[in-house]
Amino acid sequence: MDTASTYGLSELAMQLLVGLSRSMILFIISAGLSLILGVLRVPNVAHGSLYMIGAFAAFTVNTVIGGSLGFWLSLILAPLFVALVSFAAERALFCHLYEREHLMLLLFTFALMLILGDMVKLFWGVEYKSVTAPDILKGSVIILGQPFPTYNLFLLVIGPVVGFGLWLFVNKTRVGKISKAAAVDRMMVGALGINVSWVFCTAFVIGCFLAGLGGALVAPTMGLTLGMDHAIIMEAFLIVVIGGLGNIWGALVGSLIFGVTHSLGVMLLPQFAIIFPYVAVVIVLIFWPRGLLKSVW
Amino acid sequence: MFKGMIHKGALSALAGLLAVMLILPCLIPRFYVYLIASILVMALLAMSLNLVVGFGGLFQFHHGVFYGVGAYAVALLITKTGLPQWICFVLAPFAAALAGLIIGLICIRLRQLYFAMIQISLGSLLWALAFRWYDFTGGDDGIHGIPMPDILSGIHNSYYFILTVFTLSIIGLFFILSSPFGITLQAARDNAQRCEAIGVFVRRHQLFAIVIASFFAGVAGVLFVVLEGSVFPDLLFWVLSLEILIMCLLGGWFTFAGPIIGAALMLSLRSFIGMQTEYWTLILGIILALLIFFLPQGVWGYILEKVKSRKEAVVEREA
Amino acid sequence: MTKGKGIKRIFSLAGIALLGCVFAMSLVFLPGHAAARDIKIGLVDCYSGGATTFTYDVRDAFQMAMDKVNAKGGILGKKVVVATRDTKFKVDIGINVTKELVMREGVDILVGTINSSVALAVGEIVKKEKIPFFCTFSKSDKITGAKGHRYVFGITENTAMIGKAAAVGLAGKPYVKYWIAGDDYEYGHALGEGVWKNLKKLKPEVKLIGQSWWKVGEPELTPYLTAIMAAKPDAVIFATGGASMVNIMKASKSTGFSDKFPMFIHTATELSTLMPLGQEAPEGVLGTSNYHFYYPDTPENKAFVKEFRAAYKRYPKVGALYGYLTAQYIIRGFEKAGKINTEKLIDALEGFTVDSPVGPVKMRACDHQAELPMFMGVTKKSPDYPFLIAAAIETIPGAETLPTCEEIKKLRSKKQ
Repeated sequence: MDTASTYGLSELAMQLLVGLSRSMILFIISAGLSLILGVLRVPNVAHGSLYMIGAFAAFTVNTVIGGSLGFWLSLILAPLFVALVSFAAERALFCHLYEREHLMLLLFTFALMLILGDMVKLFWGVEYKSVTAPDILKGSVIILGQPFPTYNLFLLVIGPVVGFGLWLFVNKTRVGKISKAAAVDRMMVGALGINVSWVFCTAFVIGCFLAGLGGALVAPTMGLTLGMDHAIIMEAFLIVVIGGLGNIWGALVGSLIFGVTHSLGVMLLPQFAIIFPYVAVVIVLIFWPRGLLKSVW
Repeated sequence: MFKGMIHKGALSALAGLLAVMLILPCLIPRFYVYLIASILVMALLAMSLNLVVGFGGLFQFHHGVFYGVGAYAVALLITKTGLPQWICFVLAPFAAALAGLIIGLICIRLRQLYFAMIQISLGSLLWALAFRWYDFTGGDDGIHGIPMPDILSGIHNSYYFILTVFTLSIIGLFFILSSPFGITLQAARDNAQRCEAIGVFVRRHQLFAIVIASFFAGVAGVLFVVLEGSVFPDLLFWVLSLEILIMCLLGGWFTFAGPIIGAALMLSLRSFIGMQTEYWTLILGIILALLIFFLPQGVWGYILEKVKSRKEAVVEREA
Repeated sequence: MTKGKGIKRIFSLAGIALLGCVFAMSLVFLPGHAAARDIKIGLVDCYSGGATTFTYDVRDAFQMAMDKVNAKGGILGKKVVVATRDTKFKVDIGINVTKELVMREGVDILVGTINSSVALAVGEIVKKEKIPFFCTFSKSDKITGAKGHRYVFGITENTAMIGKAAAVGLAGKPYVKYWIAGDDYEYGHALGEGVWKNLKKLKPEVKLIGQSWWKVGEPELTPYLTAIMAAKPDAVIFATGGASMVNIMKASKSTGFSDKFPMFIHTATELSTLMPLGQEAPEGVLGTSNYHFYYPDTPENKAFVKEFRAAYKRYPKVGALYGYLTAQYIIRGFEKAGKINTEKLIDALEGFTVDSPVGPVKMRACDHQAELPMFMGVTKKSPDYPFLIAAAIETIPGAETLPTCEEIKKLRSKKQ
């Protein structure tokens, strides 16, 4: 099918913008995953479940409070709820396991994924759920003569805001600096008399908060279903590995690559859309065996 | 640790176990025969993975692909070529080993999670192929009702066939691991730099291990087709690979027999809890979490450790 | 030994003991056979993940009908016992639990499943075991088509029927340039091809200017829609199902796609799609469905909706019709056969008609496919409900959409 030639420049630009807005969601989710990978060295398989909980919690906040206030509050309350869940899991269980083999920690997050998946079904039931965006973010605006969904424009704004917040946390706060150091050499940090366990806890909770935020942000754009955890987790891991494990800015680079190649790809080579992410990872890792940016692994 | 298994007592215990396995189908209802047969298939798959993960120290995160390639190879050979089934059974594991060689060659330069992710990506390309190539592989519907030789029809016959192949395979795996190659592989896991320094080609050993493991995963794939008569893309999907990895970790990944215990545990928990409740993943998750907490070296690892410490205590007392 | 280590040891011993108990118990309670004279029916379906929203309705409506018959003393005096198993939408687990139901529970009849691959695998198992299998939700036309046999019954509509029904509806519209987009798996492709083949036959001047396929469960459909918008087709056929339904409706509204392009989506008018969206669903989307709780407006349908709502506090969706209809076939079929014998049941069901909320439905003898009518409608806001409903409903009788018996014969005789 040779349809590529019929697209004009403005359509391509449009497609690029749509891809960028998707990248922002992917960035928020995978930055959280990358933070946990970097500091705790744990591939957190339950990250997708926390993202799902964030989306469902956003749905609850929206139905209880309602209106645009409900939506704005859900962007704060839903991730906080996810952070609370992860904090409880970390302090009650996870923190006792840090001395173990990393693969055993993977096993634990797998168990967590199984538990959380069924918990969501128990609490929220099985019906599809949908969240309504507030009135100012509904519909579309005309950019370059093409309609562009207002909500995606909002995502293009929120992405950099979260990125900046993350930069502030890592570079300007004490905990952030310590966790950055712990990512590089945790023995040294421990030797300096810093309570590494609490640093790990903070990083874990913030990582999970970001997963919840991703879930809350994605809620108005799609139907919320059980099983949305599986759909995102592999994509997030692939992004993180492209950028370099544990590097938050690597997650940004990976998300941009995924979002943009995907949106342009579905226009130019739609029949290969299903394998884009995998091909991207194979190409990147063959030429950059440790990801594009500096990795702590 | 498995040097001790050639011990005379252990050998007779194993022979006794085999005898029990041989007469078991006459004593229990056929569903349990089927369950044990599917445990044997999974156990062989998990053991082949453990050769690379536990003894080779590699992050083989997408081992299911080789299982799937073996299963698909036998299914496609039987349904498309009309070759005698027994020849297809023999050819399929080599197809899996070939897939292992190709994927291994690309992955082997990378380390840890990078190794894992590129393997998952390459494996997912194969999955997409099986999922999308409707005319050839049947797409996501898969191929069902694959004809089997008459001698394998009926659950009892396929049980004995699976038991035979399983026993031969683990004997093979055992000798590979106790061979100089197996010892070197473990040495490379423990300290790759030192091995390189004394002139061992670590990468080549690891690649060879991947090929062997893929071969045995292919054997497990063939056994799966013998048991179920079906293939489908789920066999190549990363979720299954994660599950086998979990079986290894659960049973004890530094032990030879651990993966068998892990597979038996996972499959029987899944069936028995699934009979009682729809929320079986919740319960499975809780049981897994408890096991991780209290048995960090895996179930079999724990048992071995207990046996060892008791023996030591006896020796001390005698002294 | 330190105190902490001692506690740990106790815990680990307790853990092992617990596991041992689980094993021992499962062996003690070996075969869970019900009283020998009961009729045992096994429901194999996916009760986790996104598909659950459909499968719960099948299960609940089925259970409701069986509870009712049990309260009256059962079928021909024998009680019906229903055992459910969750497949997790995985084929290997589906095969495991089916064999467990057959070998351990000794079920007389199997009912399920939403996953086509599992349905096809179960079809092969029941062929060997000689157990009737009612396929309730999988839309693959292979189940009663190429791979069909004596023991398989198709209750739900299949992709061949959907394609024909949709083509009949679309042929009357003035569109020429079409685009087909959908979920990249067997169901999507079979649906797209089914519609296109039939439409081309009815209206040869139609042109397919492009296709796009996204991975199943793709969360972000906006880039696909913007790409289609750039190609400017006259109308778009979406071959989607499950979770993608809500996504496509949302994305088509937020991008303004639904205002610009006429859209046809099978199941767009279904409650499972429209209820979660509330007032946010786009109006004017053309869709087909087997069932609406508000249509047809007959006493039978009203009574069924009332009964279902009283039992489960929700509106019945399309799955409820499938579950209820299956139960009716089993109950009435046994009554017609006059004795509890599954071979007699199969004979009794061939060409047999039962009443259902959508009117009488015949089970065709040649391929064991129920002739369910299809309702084509357009989404529209309603003053009565907080969500959109289907309006201007046209009924396409089941007998018209089915492939002919000769076609089925040809498919089945082809060497596989």
